[in-house]
Amino acid sequence: MDYALHLAIITCIYIILSVSLDLIAGYTGILSLAHAAFYGIGAYTTALVAVHLRLPFVWCLAVSLVAAMALGGIVSAPALRIRGDYLVIATFGFQVIFYHALSNWTDFTGGPMGVFGIPQPTVLGYTVTSRSGFLLLTVWLTGICVWACRRLAKAPFGRVLQGIREDEIFTLALGKSISTYKVKVTVIGAVMAAVAGALYASYISFIDPTSFSIMESILILAIVIIGGAGTIWGPALGACLLVTVPELLRFIGIPAAIAPNLRQILYGGLLMGFAIWRPQGLLGRYAFR
Amino acid sequence: MTSLLEVSEVSKSFDGVVAVDGMSMTLCERRITSIIGPNGSGKTTLLNLIGGFVFPDRGDILLRGQRISGMRPYRIAALGVARTFQNLRLLRRATLIDNVLLAFQHQAGEGVFCALTGWKTRREEKASQATARELLAFVGLEGKAYELAGSLSYGQQKLVTLACCLAMEADLLLLDEPVAGIDPEMSRHILELLAQLRQEGKTILLIEHDLEAVKAVSDTVIVLDEGRKIAEGRPDKVMRDPVVVEAYLT
Repeated sequence: MDYALHLAIITCIYIILSVSLDLIAGYTGILSLAHAAFYGIGAYTTALVAVHLRLPFVWCLAVSLVAAMALGGIVSAPALRIRGDYLVIATFGFQVIFYHALSNWTDFTGGPMGVFGIPQPTVLGYTVTSRSGFLLLTVWLTGICVWACRRLAKAPFGRVLQGIREDEIFTLALGKSISTYKVKVTVIGAVMAAVAGALYASYISFIDPTSFSIMESILILAIVIIGGAGTIWGPALGACLLVTVPELLRFIGIPAAIAPNLRQILYGGLLMGFAIWRPQGLLGRYAFR
Repeated sequence: MTSLLEVSEVSKSFDGVVAVDGMSMTLCERRITSIIGPNGSGKTTLLNLIGGFVFPDRGDILLRGQRISGMRPYRIAALGVARTFQNLRLLRRATLIDNVLLAFQHQAGEGVFCALTGWKTRREEKASQATARELLAFVGLEGKAYELAGSLSYGQQKLVTLACCLAMEADLLLLDEPVAGIDPEMSRHILELLAQLRQEGKTILLIEHDLEAVKAVSDTVIVLDEGRKIAEGRPDKVMRDPVVVEAYLT
């Protein structure tokens, strides 16, 4: 039972990550490989504030969101000038810098040792100690994020984002300040990823840089593409599948030593298969490009 | 006749190649002005300069006396300048109505706060949808509002871009080859629409290669050659001008 709850919590965290990246990559077409950095800034800010300042979860979350906003603003700056392959490389570079900062700024982030002893979250004076309690908190925050993404995507705001994805010049000629929208959507996506990071840090109670590496960014992007970029439910479904299916490997008797490698092969294979046979993803209508 | 747009002594070169050279012109309200000229004479560059897609090296562009040269394209668009593109830009993977809805200006729901809370957006969206359907009907695409723009014929796609310009409620329409590459019947339909829009108070600047079309709708014709204006005047007069004949035929 504990294991099922654990899976549910992790799935929810990935739903937040993939749905928020979908807003940036799927709707707006900003192919970002820096999402794990936003996830990481949320996790590290929450961890450091909770460990050193002993503030309640809501405050940790608030500080994390502000930090993510700032980071989102920085990442969106190059996105205003470059697109396509170059943007992928720029966000890739940013992600790598972020990872190495986490690993090497030992005094502040704990370096490769990470941050441990992150306290359990206290919400409204009540400390969440049980898994089911934490699941409740996670589901609630996931619900808010998914709801917000859906509202934004369905509103005229989302229409402009899709316009930018389909034809930037046309959208610009229609009087939309596309740079403003790119900054806005990146910051919104970053803030939501930071929510996921805050949840992750306080759930696992120990974080280190390996959870926020480029592989993590690629995984989140794979979830979005496999689920169906440019739909909200697609990436959510993708998160459910890509988190739970590899766990099944445990039950078919695969030794723990090779299971993680097999998981990477599975992700890679799935991504290739989808790219060839179903480029629009599970629930998507359009091929992701 | 009041002037709407004033282009004075505008020049633009790309890597040393002069595209527009000391161009001046005045567009009067409720008039259709056509720009003709051989390929590479700077017609599209002129449109890009007015729309803010490229900035002039020298000279000024004034809209109702306000300097717009140097402004970003979305600002110029918001001041009431709409344009279409020669290679036909629109959202092919979106429905017609979504294309037109995107063109409305100052929508509350384009802001994050209103989009999230739904404040002011529901009624606004309903009104926009109704207007968008009316505009599509006006250009002759009734009943196609929910089809994908990419599934339409080339001529019909041009009608969609025209509907977008109208949704922007722009006073000045910059149209880059509105009847090029489409069948004569559709071409006639578009020209009729342009004449009707002039009646309704729009000012139109169009680039066109089809001289018959130009003759049919234009009040004024401007001839460009190698980035310079070589003639300007009433269509029948200009097209008999020996300088124009030479530039066009040689």
